[in-house]
Amino acid sequence: MRIAVCVKHAIDETELKTGPGGRPVLEGAACKVSVFDKNAVEEALRMRSAQGGEVVAFTIGSEDARKSLKEALAMGADRGVLVVGAQASLDTGRTARTIAAAVKKEGAFDVVLCSEGSSDTYSGQVPPMLAEALGTAYVGYARKIQLEGGKAKVERLLEDSVEEVEAPMPVVVSVVSEINEPRYPTLIQIMQASKKPVQEIPESQLAVDPGSSPVAVLGMSVQTSSRKRVIIEGGPEDAAAKLIQELEKEGVLR
Amino acid sequence: MVLLAAAYIVTYAVSLLSAAAIFATVFVRSRRASAGLGAGRLLELTREEARRSISGDPVFLMHASIALGVGVSIAEVVLAPVLPALFALRILLLAVSVPATAGLAVAFAWRVQRFVQSKSVERSLHTTGAFSSASTRMQGILMVAIALTASELVVAWLPAFALVDAAVSIVRNSLVVAYYVGPTVNLISRVGTRLPSVETPFVLSDIMSGKVDASTVRSGVGDYPDFSPKESLSFDSCVEIGACEASCPATAAGRPLSPRVLMRKLSLHSDAGGEGGPFAVVGEDELWSCTSCGACVSSCPVGVKHLDIVYDLRRDLVARGKLDKEKAGMLENLARSQNPYGFKQSDRAKWAEGLGVQTASESSRAEYVYWVGCVASFDQRAQRVARSMAKIMKSAGVSFAILGQDEACVGDPARRLGEEGRYQELVYQNVEKLNSLGAKKVVTTCPHCFNSLKNEYPRFGGEYEVVHHTQLISDLVRSGRLKVPPDRVREVSVTLHDACYASRYNNIFDEPREALGSSVSDVREMKRNGEKTFCCGAGGSNYWFKVPEQRTISGIRAKEAAETGAKAVATECPFCLSMLEDSSKVMGTGMEVRDVAEIVADAVP
Amino acid sequence: MSEQVWAYSGSGEVQCELMSAALELAEKSGRSAVAVELGRQREEVVAQSRLVVKGAGDDPLPEVAAEALTRAARSRHPSTILVGATRNGREVASRVAARLGWPCLSEASKLSIDGAQLQANRTVFAGKVVATVSCGLPAVVTIKPAFYPKSTASGKEVDEFDAGELTGVVKLLSRRKKEAGAVDLRKAKAIVSAGRGVKRKEDLPMLQSLAEELGGALGCSRPLSSDLGWLPEECHIGLTGVTVKPDLYVAVGISGQLQHIAGMKDSKVVVAVNTDKDAPIFQASDYGIVADLYQVVPAIKKALESRR
Repeated sequence: MRIAVCVKHAIDETELKTGPGGRPVLEGAACKVSVFDKNAVEEALRMRSAQGGEVVAFTIGSEDARKSLKEALAMGADRGVLVVGAQASLDTGRTARTIAAAVKKEGAFDVVLCSEGSSDTYSGQVPPMLAEALGTAYVGYARKIQLEGGKAKVERLLEDSVEEVEAPMPVVVSVVSEINEPRYPTLIQIMQASKKPVQEIPESQLAVDPGSSPVAVLGMSVQTSSRKRVIIEGGPEDAAAKLIQELEKEGVLR
Repeated sequence: MVLLAAAYIVTYAVSLLSAAAIFATVFVRSRRASAGLGAGRLLELTREEARRSISGDPVFLMHASIALGVGVSIAEVVLAPVLPALFALRILLLAVSVPATAGLAVAFAWRVQRFVQSKSVERSLHTTGAFSSASTRMQGILMVAIALTASELVVAWLPAFALVDAAVSIVRNSLVVAYYVGPTVNLISRVGTRLPSVETPFVLSDIMSGKVDASTVRSGVGDYPDFSPKESLSFDSCVEIGACEASCPATAAGRPLSPRVLMRKLSLHSDAGGEGGPFAVVGEDELWSCTSCGACVSSCPVGVKHLDIVYDLRRDLVARGKLDKEKAGMLENLARSQNPYGFKQSDRAKWAEGLGVQTASESSRAEYVYWVGCVASFDQRAQRVARSMAKIMKSAGVSFAILGQDEACVGDPARRLGEEGRYQELVYQNVEKLNSLGAKKVVTTCPHCFNSLKNEYPRFGGEYEVVHHTQLISDLVRSGRLKVPPDRVREVSVTLHDACYASRYNNIFDEPREALGSSVSDVREMKRNGEKTFCCGAGGSNYWFKVPEQRTISGIRAKEAAETGAKAVATECPFCLSMLEDSSKVMGTGMEVRDVAEIVADAVP
Repeated sequence: MSEQVWAYSGSGEVQCELMSAALELAEKSGRSAVAVELGRQREEVVAQSRLVVKGAGDDPLPEVAAEALTRAARSRHPSTILVGATRNGREVASRVAARLGWPCLSEASKLSIDGAQLQANRTVFAGKVVATVSCGLPAVVTIKPAFYPKSTASGKEVDEFDAGELTGVVKLLSRRKKEAGAVDLRKAKAIVSAGRGVKRKEDLPMLQSLAEELGGALGCSRPLSSDLGWLPEECHIGLTGVTVKPDLYVAVGISGQLQHIAGMKDSKVVVAVNTDKDAPIFQASDYGIVADLYQVVPAIKKALESRR
């Protein structure tokens, strides 16, 4: 069983700073592995322990993105592939085509795992686009995956319903965080992971189609809350009474 | 007549041989376990046994009686031919054997009661039938050995039964050789090892420096051969005395753990081939149930060190990623934020705002580094302990400084959970900081921080004079530097809850009582106090996750506190404070729960 | 036929929201807005103009829906295809974009058109930042649910397109309603939301009864549903849970991590109760009470009862 798992080296929104003009400071912003991707890595590892085989983690970005690969390797992935020179962006089509090219270059995979969306942009588009680019089946929002006889039986968690579907392998599957509990890599495992192989592929080698019309980011601004931020003082009874008065004025009490 | 004489001589000779066999096997096996039988070692062992027995601990009383009983009965057999002639020796033996016989009677009664309870524990733990019968057999042997020794002591005074006496001693001595030599060797090998000592599976600096290859590092035990010989000897030495089970807070709370059952399962399973490794018979929650309070280790008369085994098995669970969100989240917080909560380190000194407390980098000439600890730094309730301690030190003119955001978690929660690497990383980070500031004396309001800093940090290059805040406070009161005006002494009854890591681990008993006595009129004792204190339920990293249980450990303790009739509980640990305050509310005991520092600070003008 | 703005969602409700967006965009650019429906015309969809794509069957899997839309688009050349950013919608949009070779904007709100460029706002970094993104036309766009109001403009114009035979490689074995989740938080007018400040599961009924007193429902932050399992996942409000926008949102014992704020920030009025005066939730609230929830919640309930 060959399993590919995609991880994103995403800006850590909790550490994001605001620069001049209310723009977020993205240059040099702290990044970490997109938290939901750990579920995908965990699922890949569970598949490997059940079926045997190899888990290869893929990411794209700068040298710094090695950190996210290392996280996947520390959790237990066998090796990593880093596409350098490319950047995961809001141009999800391009991102997906880049990953697809790298995955293809590494040979045939039985399963490609992704998370449902990234912690920074949460578009949820790369996984299905990746399947399109690879020409494989795709199942999204999996909360349970069973592999058997060249088929993947998947339970999909949707807004109002649960679906059970069957897809032929090779297949791209995106998982929801309910699927598992990602393991915590110990410090020793992190140190051991630095000895695991990471292959760098320059984006230029992949000849990725730039697409008919790229998605461009025109600007960004940090949301300033327009909340009133009134702190109601007093003991519990006083505060409660004052609050009810205010809410009546707001017209939100029935 | 001749036949009888011959029988007597043969029996007598065999009896002597069996007695000699005890000493010989102990001697040989001690040598093999590289636990020398030096006079110093034996003296220390005897002294410790005597101390615990005199303190009235029934388990040790029993243990000493058995040892004494065996000794006396052997002496009686050996000296039988000359004994009638030596009146003084007879008196001496009588003087020893009477209390020994009484002690054995008490031991037998206690043991029977433990047997009944052990079966109820086994039922609630759903142990296998095979285990239960093996356990019944082992407990039966112990009771038979006690009974034989007692009856032998009595029979010895009836010259007509000399043959019976010798025969009984043969049976008893054979039992001792078969079952109790291992435990004795274990006990001898443990002399001088204190409760706080934790086995260090690897040293991070050796890996960092390349001296040890990271890929060869093994952390934890996943199979029986991975246990060190010491650890194997430890669980194999369990003869189901049951003292650990009687004192274990996890067992008392109906958690899926009994230290006795855990040790015996490992021993029986490994003897039977150990297929599937320890985790074939040990459950995950069984291991997480342990609060590392040390009651089992401290109460075990044969020196079994349950904690080493729990830690090693936990380490394996951590390495295999067998952690739920709470445990993994706590470790991730430690990795990212250097505190188990995941709060920003820059907020660590917020509790001190407006108090004029210096940070060590500004004022490195301060006498003490006040090691605040994560709970008192971030937990709003516990912050009052830190503020109280600051007030006390200022009032007594103690020069101190805090590390502020440079103080990282001491590492205790990571180590007890089984993440040794993260623990050592935090230790090295803290040692580097403390050493760079030239810290000499450290005072801390948390016994877990205290224990790590005092007993564990030296191994990693951090040697400081570490005091627990109750020690410093009592010192300040005694020396008159801290003055509590008589009119400010509160007329109130308070009972002190000894923190495991202060009392049992580090023998801090008198200082918190002295400190408390300076500020309140009536200090009462709970039934279990001092080194026999009962856990609050938070230790061993248990504060950070949940384990299935029938009742809370803190609830049991809150009830014991209420039984003293005191109006308030004094604590000396921020974890105990939080646990007992919650359960006092839940149990509706109406008791105020406050740290010793808070109570004293209130009395200081 | 002028260039069209298409709107498609498997959910009738979201489809109506998309029609508002489509109409707005169509008006700005002199195009027409068309509701695309697969298989059959649905009553719950309100639209002036529809295109019914035959061949996909009712409620097709996203793979098949995508192929139906792709074929229709290849034949009819719309300028823009709006798709509701539901779980299935994201897959449909991504596949259509990939198959047609069009760019795709995601999670969009506030669409506008400038010549041949389509512009949209969307939030990134857990709602902390608004990004303005653009791409050339034609394009696929996923629209954030619950941003646009439901369109009420109805009409009778219906067109049909036969997509031919459509099959996919993914087979549906079963489909069932999601378990539990009695209340749909997305529709609640008032929500009381519980966080880690709530000490025990047994204390939740206290908050439930406050919610009922307010005529609303009980929700929670991630730890209570995902970590502790005290409430079903449907109650989890946040980035990875449900996004809500009630008139009144009362956050009780919630510290206000971004993940959570992202799911409730569009609420009309936000009230927070927390013991920590520095909890970030107060920055995202209109009214804050810094106190023990165990004292304040009963007090609020009592005040509400006496008001009646």
